[in-house]
Amino acid sequence: MTDALSPHRESLLACPDCDLLLRVDAVPLDRECHCPRCDALVQDGGHYAIDLHLAAAFSGLVLFVPAVTAPVLRFTMVGQWGSNSLLGGVWHLWTQGEQILSLLVLLCSVVAPFFHLLLSFGIALTLRLSRLPNNFPAWLKWHRHMQGWSMLEVYTLGIIVAYVKMLDDGDVFVGSGTYCVAGVLLCLIICNQCFREDVAWRQWEQRK
Amino acid sequence: MSSRAFDKGLARCFSCGKLCQLSVQQQASCCPRCDSPVSFRQSASLSYSWALTLAALALLVPANMLPILTVVSFGQGDPDTIMSGVIKLWDAELQAIAAVVFIASVAVPVAKLVVMLLLMLVVQLKLPLSKEQCTLLYRFIHFIGRWSMLDLFMISILVTVVHMGNIANVESGPAALAFGAVVVLTMLAADYFDPRLLWDLEHE
Repeated sequence: MTDALSPHRESLLACPDCDLLLRVDAVPLDRECHCPRCDALVQDGGHYAIDLHLAAAFSGLVLFVPAVTAPVLRFTMVGQWGSNSLLGGVWHLWTQGEQILSLLVLLCSVVAPFFHLLLSFGIALTLRLSRLPNNFPAWLKWHRHMQGWSMLEVYTLGIIVAYVKMLDDGDVFVGSGTYCVAGVLLCLIICNQCFREDVAWRQWEQRK
Repeated sequence: MSSRAFDKGLARCFSCGKLCQLSVQQQASCCPRCDSPVSFRQSASLSYSWALTLAALALLVPANMLPILTVVSFGQGDPDTIMSGVIKLWDAELQAIAAVVFIASVAVPVAKLVVMLLLMLVVQLKLPLSKEQCTLLYRFIHFIGRWSMLDLFMISILVTVVHMGNIANVESGPAALAFGAVVVLTMLAADYFDPRLLWDLEHE
């Protein structure tokens, strides 16, 4: 039991989904491992590509401002035209009297993706420099919350559905915002793919 | 029988996954690694899940009965509910898009609520269902939950882009808010549900 509290390698892990106690001291740290009873992912596999994580988070942050302000779709109909951006859509809902809805859309399409990228950047940078700040655990916890509410991939599908819906009534053009949103989405996917939370937690524990 | 972490007095931290030693009387403590509160199971998991699921179930009625979107072009146009919008898309030869919207706005919320009710009934009434399959269902609703936001994003795009005074106008209806609440409440309900409660039944 004292092994479980040793700072470097946990010899025991509990499955997050079924609470089965697993002995893992023979499993290498970069080997993916699943619960034998319920098949939950107990340990992530692969090497933590920290430079790639840092680069993807930085690129995402650079693209973020044009992604939320540049026009996503432009629609023209008998000489009139209209366009939207991520922030513009939120603002329009707010002025239409749908304040709660606009806050929900703001959270899922702007605020959560932004903090997800920002925290990814902060986490990767401080791990890279081995200078973890005192509130590093709070960063990791907020990173996970923001990951859950960041729904840019759903927004992208929403752009496609809206595009097809408007095709019948007039001319629709894809704006530069769409390309920036796609770029941010790609960066978010790369961040999610290469980040390994357990490595970050172990680094924090060893540093203490 | 395989042993649970619980039987050894070990609790997995919700935030960082570290195993923490807890005495059975103690029930709650702080994680030595990340300082989050640690307990054996998500506290009051079932009560929260029931409350959130039942609230979502009640809101599903206005979300589907009230108009969600009104498209007015040249002064003509009727309010659409979620289902009539899907049917209009289908009739306009846009079957693929109609299927996507149907899955995201009708099938997913209903499936989530049915699965949540089933999982909670299994724990509450100790129903002898396969725990592997229940866990699979739980992971499935966690995975699909976010895709229901599709309709709300689409509304936010359409009302902004198609805003041309008398020529064409799109306005959101009262169902949009109810639908947003259904999505958020079911996501929270799935978060509060602790799947380990299902497996605890095997140890009783």
